[in-house]
Amino acid sequence: MGRPSQLKPAITGSNRRDFFKRSGATTVVVATAAQWLPLAADAATSSVFQHGVASGDPLNDRVILWTRVTPSLVKSSIAVSYVVATDPALSQVVLRGTSKTHPGRDNTVKVDAQGLRPNTTYYYQFGAEGVASPVGRTKTLPVGPTSSLRMAVVSCSNHAYGYFNAYARIAQRADLDLVMHLGDYIYEYGVGQYGSARTPEPAHEIVSLSDYRQRHAQYKRDADSQAMHRQHPLVAIWDDHETANNATKTGAENHQPGTEGDWATRVAAALQAYYDWMPVRPVDTANLRKNNRYFAYGDLADLIMLEERVSSRSEILTASRPTPFGAGFNQSDPGYGDPGRSMLGVDQEAWLAERLRSTPARWKMLGQGVMFAQLKGVAAANSAGGGTFLNSDQWDGYQPARDRIYEVLKGDATHAPVDNVVVLTGDIHSAWAADLTQDPNNNNTATGGYNPATGEGSRAVEFVGTSVSSPGVDSDSSGQIAGGLRFYNPHFKYINLTRRGYMLLDVNRDRVVSEWWFVDTAASPSRIETFAIAFAVVVGTNRLVPAAQTTPRANPPLLAP
Amino acid sequence: MSNKLFFARIALTTLALSGSLAAQAADFNFSGQLVYQKDVVQFDFSLANAGTVSIWTDSWQSGLNFDPQLALFDGNHALQLVFSDGGDSVSASAGYFDDGQVFSLLAAGQYRLTLSTFSNAPNGPDLANGFSYDSAAPIALADWNQPGYDINANDQKGGAWRVHLSGVQQAAVVPEPASAALLLAGLLGVAGVARCRQRGVL
Repeated sequence: MGRPSQLKPAITGSNRRDFFKRSGATTVVVATAAQWLPLAADAATSSVFQHGVASGDPLNDRVILWTRVTPSLVKSSIAVSYVVATDPALSQVVLRGTSKTHPGRDNTVKVDAQGLRPNTTYYYQFGAEGVASPVGRTKTLPVGPTSSLRMAVVSCSNHAYGYFNAYARIAQRADLDLVMHLGDYIYEYGVGQYGSARTPEPAHEIVSLSDYRQRHAQYKRDADSQAMHRQHPLVAIWDDHETANNATKTGAENHQPGTEGDWATRVAAALQAYYDWMPVRPVDTANLRKNNRYFAYGDLADLIMLEERVSSRSEILTASRPTPFGAGFNQSDPGYGDPGRSMLGVDQEAWLAERLRSTPARWKMLGQGVMFAQLKGVAAANSAGGGTFLNSDQWDGYQPARDRIYEVLKGDATHAPVDNVVVLTGDIHSAWAADLTQDPNNNNTATGGYNPATGEGSRAVEFVGTSVSSPGVDSDSSGQIAGGLRFYNPHFKYINLTRRGYMLLDVNRDRVVSEWWFVDTAASPSRIETFAIAFAVVVGTNRLVPAAQTTPRANPPLLAP
Repeated sequence: MSNKLFFARIALTTLALSGSLAAQAADFNFSGQLVYQKDVVQFDFSLANAGTVSIWTDSWQSGLNFDPQLALFDGNHALQLVFSDGGDSVSASAGYFDDGQVFSLLAAGQYRLTLSTFSNAPNGPDLANGFSYDSAAPIALADWNQPGYDINANDQKGGAWRVHLSGVQQAAVVPEPASAALLLAGLLGVAGVARCRQRGVL
């Protein structure tokens, strides 16, 4: 996809990176004079805790707390303290503890703070090297009867391509319960390979463990990223760019074994750095590729997070059929009809089916990487061949596997249908809202089709968030391309290909509303955001309806200072 | 106490006794197994003359075993120093979380060294004040998430420990009272058998 025409040259002089470099120069003097808790943020904090603090994977009694320590001198081990309190001043302490780190973990610190109360906002702080970290804010999940969830959903945060203005806006929203990141949290490219607003570190494409760690470190030094992490717990999955573009179990488009080595070695390096640097609780420490897990948000919603890249995904097939939107493929093309090709793998598919069927939650929200809805460049009902699909990397390239999930939603002789499923998606750098149906171009609902006027025939809905900074089809300022896609794909109720931003999900027992919020630019730092549109799904309907902007919660917990 | 544990402790004590036979400055190597997070192993060592003493562990093994913590007491059992980590600066075989300290001019006399899990620290200022985990319920190391363990690797679940002392004249593991009593009972039993044999009872 093309780069934005309004891209500004990289800022030189007094930018944030220069600030951190300058502040680091005073480290030794200040750090030796400092007491560690409590201490206001100063130059020493900026240096020792220059990568900020973060929290993630909240449960009803625990949450992962994360930081990284940068000592003034290289050390083989670093002692770390942490404190958790119920107030921003850290006077009402509920938990104190110690931890340690060492260079083998890239000096990252990850604590699973336990024994916390459900549905409670906490404030936390680390101490190391005689210095206190910034104060972070986090929140545990509720249990039992639950009436409300508000969360931001983000994806595709490309440091080289622009500024994380969307993160900064999310950081200002005090009434969010969490932030969901649907992947492409980092990008693997080298200088000028995908974005030139900021210079990636290291300058080359990242391949080794050291490379991936340096890249994560650069992203964590971004001030807007730090602000978001400091205020909200993250629930994250990876997509492909945390390893390499269009990754699968066995390889990636952007991986050349001849020059970059074994794919398994690269994945292991990428995931080690990922787990070091992300506030994520491993699912299986013996198999870091396994990342699917769910978060029970009381009885209101399950956040079911899927792994769709390196655990089981079959190779992405090529597409060569011409369409007005580029090369596509038909489902009858070689390989596409193979039921053995998988997105999730046998175990994860079974796990997903079991949870969808058994969860007591009203809403089943799938947090996942690639678009579930069909995206066609040539329209046709399934009985007429199904038309031509545009993106073999998304679920369209794995239709038999997608059909197996539809079978779960529809139910069978021994299983009730599964209603109130909301699919949340990133990956594609653009904003979409879709009714989910197996045969969107068949308008006869009696034969399994879909009525685009009423939504009848839809089994679930999908909200696709745009990117934080990665480019969409930014040339589509007139909306002609989006309009053309909607013409061939009547199940999409909204498509915007040009804007950067995030989704705001407001969930109650009656409906789920998704609001799309767009920043004015990612090419330079900016505080401007605008509400674009909202769609809702009402309980029991499984289809989209237009919605109004929701109201922020009154009297939210104080933001971290 | 299981037989296995009993014999392990007997073996440990035997090793310590054989080590204590050395008369000149030498290297002493001790190893064993902790079972619970609150276990503490104690060592006595002595110096005839002031000199350089190095003490380190190399059992952490990149997280295969628990993260150790050492504390040095004088002959009166007054706490002198708690040291955790730094082993890799003393020995190339030690890792990040192994402990190590070089005492460049340690005074002549008796000393006691304790090995515990991080962060089961001496309450101080005297050994009799115990350790911070003393009142905690025992948790098997295999089931314990040690402070500072790597969540991403679920490591430090092994109980093996190894301690090295270099530059001391004598060193020995202090037997736990229970195992010392058992050992003593065993010796008395053997002595009793010998006496019985002498008396021709058998």
